Amino acid sequence: MHISEGVLSASVLVAGVAMAAAGVSVGLKKMDYERIPQVAVLSSAFFVASLIHVPIGPSNAHLILNGINGLLLGWLCFPSILVALALQALLFQFGGITVLGINTVNMALPGLICYYLFSRLVNREKGPISLAAAFACGLLAVFLSGVLVALSLLFTEESFMSVAKLIVLAHVPVMIIEGIITLFCVAFLKRVKPELLGGIHEKRS
Amino acid sequence: MKNGHKKSSIVLFFASILIISTALPASAHRAIIFAWVEGDTVFTESKFSGGRRAINAEVLVLDREGKQLLEGRTNDKGEFSFKIPKLTDLRIVVTAGTGHQGEWTIPESEIREAGAVLEKKRTDEPSQPVALGLGKEEIKDLVDDSLDRKLRPIVRMMTESQSKGPSVNEIVGGIGYIFGLMGVALYFKSRGKKRRSEN
Repeated sequence: MHISEGVLSASVLVAGVAMAAAGVSVGLKKMDYERIPQVAVLSSAFFVASLIHVPIGPSNAHLILNGINGLLLGWLCFPSILVALALQALLFQFGGITVLGINTVNMALPGLICYYLFSRLVNREKGPISLAAAFACGLLAVFLSGVLVALSLLFTEESFMSVAKLIVLAHVPVMIIEGIITLFCVAFLKRVKPELLGGIHEKRS
Repeated sequence: MKNGHKKSSIVLFFASILIISTALPASAHRAIIFAWVEGDTVFTESKFSGGRRAINAEVLVLDREGKQLLEGRTNDKGEFSFKIPKLTDLRIVVTAGTGHQGEWTIPESEIREAGAVLEKKRTDEPSQPVALGLGKEEIKDLVDDSLDRKLRPIVRMMTESQSKGPSVNEIVGGIGYIFGLMGVALYFKSRGKKRRSEN
């Protein structure tokens, strides 16, 4: 789902940079001393996830892990994903520097949306409800990213619906796998380190 | 004791994610196009960085100024070939849909060379069939021709190696960068903290 360099028009790129900058600055403001290592760990998870190829289905899809990033980090997923995407662009030539802004928004915004939708359910509820919410979080984040990528291609490709369908269908296996990964992460963290599950943000407000 | 247990299991958890991911075949979204000249024809091959061929992808051929010379689509092997349209640097761009795009440039010198061979062949043609006593130039042309053919597999091999995914070095290096950044962030935040507590 990395958009390559030279595909998008300048106005889309500028809009992407502006939105990413806003998200990152909010994220940096919310980043406390205690949470920095957590951001780094999730950033490296996102960085490596793009190498895990899912060989099911018609297209060349890879893991994204923006759901778990959003769920655990909230607004902090903007800086986390920005750093990971920048390194992917520099080291792997996935995406690129000029499209960094729009790619960051496409990946981090769904994470943030899923944080607001599901973090309460995941943290407060117990047992199956919490796990179901975690699964939905991982799944929905990838779906929304697909829709956002199609939206950003709106001005270059012929039709929004066909592109969106293409991307979303190609990522159905990824969505399911990400849902399962998010579910296991939540189950694991609940047992081992429940305070990592967004507890800090909740307590303060 | 129990706390230490927890910590080590978290480390193990993330370590296992990293190990699994490096062991899997590295692959992801990136369109690559590779082009070479053979005689008067330019051959191109397009694929994704995982090695999957880009089928029915749009290929644009541009000159040095970015003016479009011709366009076409790749066949079901990801290949597309065309006759050299003009003596200039050729920029060949493949657009594989859903935001993927790759580029390859053939410098003018390479095309000029191929063109020179061509010109000669055209003027030579009446003197066919060549019998005994080949001239120096004719031998050179023949060698050029067969070299083109023989080198083709090697050129292909180079394409394959070009399309290999990131190496372990780059992956580990990237993770290193992230943790380095973490260190920098912690350093600055901790200085701010100290100053605040001093005041």
